Amino acid sequence: MTITWVPIIFVDVAGAFLMIVFSILSIRHAWRLIRKDPENLVWTYLLWLAVGLAGFAISRSAGHILKQVLFVSGYDPVWEHIRPVSGSLNTMLLIVVAAVTLFFNRAWHIYQGVFAERKALQGTQSELMRLNETLENRVQERTAALLIHEKRMAQTDRLASIGQLSSGIAHELNNPLGVIQGYTQLLLRGEEPASQKHQDLQVILKHARNCKTIVDDLLNFARHSKPEKTEINIHDVIDDVLIFIKHRGKMEKIRIETRFDENVVPMSMDDKKIKQVLINLLMNARHAVGEDGAIVISTAYEPEVRQIKVSVADNGYGIDAKNLVRIFDPFFTTKSTGEGTGLGLAVSYGIIKNHGGEIQVSSKPGKGAVFTVILPVNPAKDTLMAS
Amino acid sequence: MISKDKLKLIVTACFITLLATSSPAIATQPHGDPEGVVIHQFSHVFFIFSMGILIYWLRNRELDRQPGWREIKYSAFFLILWSAVAFVAHLLDEQLAWVITSRVDSFTMLVETTRGGPVLAWFYYIAKLDHLLCVPGLFFLYRGLARLSDFEEKKVEGGGA
Ligand SMILES: Nc1ncnc2c1ncn2[C@@H]1O[C@H](COP(=O)(O)OP(=O)(O)OP(=O)(O)O)[C@@H](O)[C@H]1O
Ligand SMILES: [Mg+2]
Repeated sequence: MTITWVPIIFVDVAGAFLMIVFSILSIRHAWRLIRKDPENLVWTYLLWLAVGLAGFAISRSAGHILKQVLFVSGYDPVWEHIRPVSGSLNTMLLIVVAAVTLFFNRAWHIYQGVFAERKALQGTQSELMRLNETLENRVQERTAALLIHEKRMAQTDRLASIGQLSSGIAHELNNPLGVIQGYTQLLLRGEEPASQKHQDLQVILKHARNCKTIVDDLLNFARHSKPEKTEINIHDVIDDVLIFIKHRGKMEKIRIETRFDENVVPMSMDDKKIKQVLINLLMNARHAVGEDGAIVISTAYEPEVRQIKVSVADNGYGIDAKNLVRIFDPFFTTKSTGEGTGLGLAVSYGIIKNHGGEIQVSSKPGKGAVFTVILPVNPAKDTLMAS
Repeated sequence: MISKDKLKLIVTACFITLLATSSPAIATQPHGDPEGVVIHQFSHVFFIFSMGILIYWLRNRELDRQPGWREIKYSAFFLILWSAVAFVAHLLDEQLAWVITSRVDSFTMLVETTRGGPVLAWFYYIAKLDHLLCVPGLFFLYRGLARLSDFEEKKVEGGGA
């Protein structure tokens, strides 16, 4: 059939031109990529691909344009000279592009392997560094724990010797005080109730009684008496204490919040003594927060260690760091005479020790203080096992 | 751009050397030496194979879901089609000689077929418009590379900020 050349010529010339344009643009962008990351294998391949195709496009398109020009102008025999060169070049560049693609595919696998190994190496290294770091952290933690432990031991020692001393004094004072009380009462019977002497004797009796409570407190702190234990839930004890405290007034503006752990189990304890501890802690907290503040009583049961924690937190004036080690000492107080004797915490400490427990304190001066009482759930068994 | 200049130099050098050494073919004979045609046909097959591998690789790594790489996949696809069409056209005219073309005048040509009749003639005529396939192929290559390099540029900027 006879048919016009025109579409073929047109598509050949326009297509050839567009091929050159697009392939050169491709090289430009591949070049931009490789400049960002010269060691990237993928970009390297894309650059080769673009260059190979561009070479092909230029050689082929130049050939095609030339061919059409020659044909149209009637010089087609000349084309036969150029044709083998252009054709061979096309062939060669096509093979180059194909070979580069296949080679890239292989190289990629190898590259992946090397990459994975490098990753693994980096992983191991960072793991090592992490281990090293945790090791250091652990050493630090243990050292800190040891220091705290040592301090606590020192405090226990000190409190024990203070206890011995004070129990000795208390014992010595107890009998004379009893005698003073007895004789005063005897004398009181022989006096008229309205007389001056009667009143004077009443004053003596009152102060002797005060002395007696202090001496009792001291003995409580030092004496390792077995507490009279009953099985009871700590929450009931706390509720009783709160009712008692509220009746004593001056607590209207203080918000007392309780956060009870439902899992707390009943435990055996001397509830009168524990109440005394809680009252001491609450009175201290009340004093610390002043007229208007907040106190939070929370409980927590830790089944793994079979312990119950009761903490009393307040947002009061807090405790200075230098006082923190002394607050459990008998007669240590920052309050003025008449406001406090400094026996509350000492007595509480003795009671909790007798229960086989522990009492801890933490405080930020100006922000408040937290006292935590830790009681073992089965102290009887524990002490049995320990002895 | 250095590479473009270098490339130009290499291409020109090759042209000149080959022009100087090749013996002029007989004017009326449209076929090259058989080896030349065969090696050219091989190159087309090899090229199709390698582009197929490239598409396989892109799919395997799921890169073809990302913009940029997707265009490069389309590019490989069009280049495969183009290579196949070019292969068939070469087969018809140069290897099997089922189709013989000759020039009537500057704007008309004669397409004769030894087999297949006018259908094959038309098929050959359309196959000769192979630029309709390789131009999109290169266009997608350019789009893909442009998107990739834009993306990488943004990534570097984003990382630097
Ligand atoms: N919740 C608290 N906030 C701030 N400081 C506290 C708190 N609890 C105790 N302290 C400090 O510890 C000291 C000792 O307390 P402790 O209860 O032993 O004695 P006290 O309260 O001073 O006297 P009392 O014998 O009347 O209890 C207090 O004087 C106070 O400085
Ligand atoms: Mg107190």
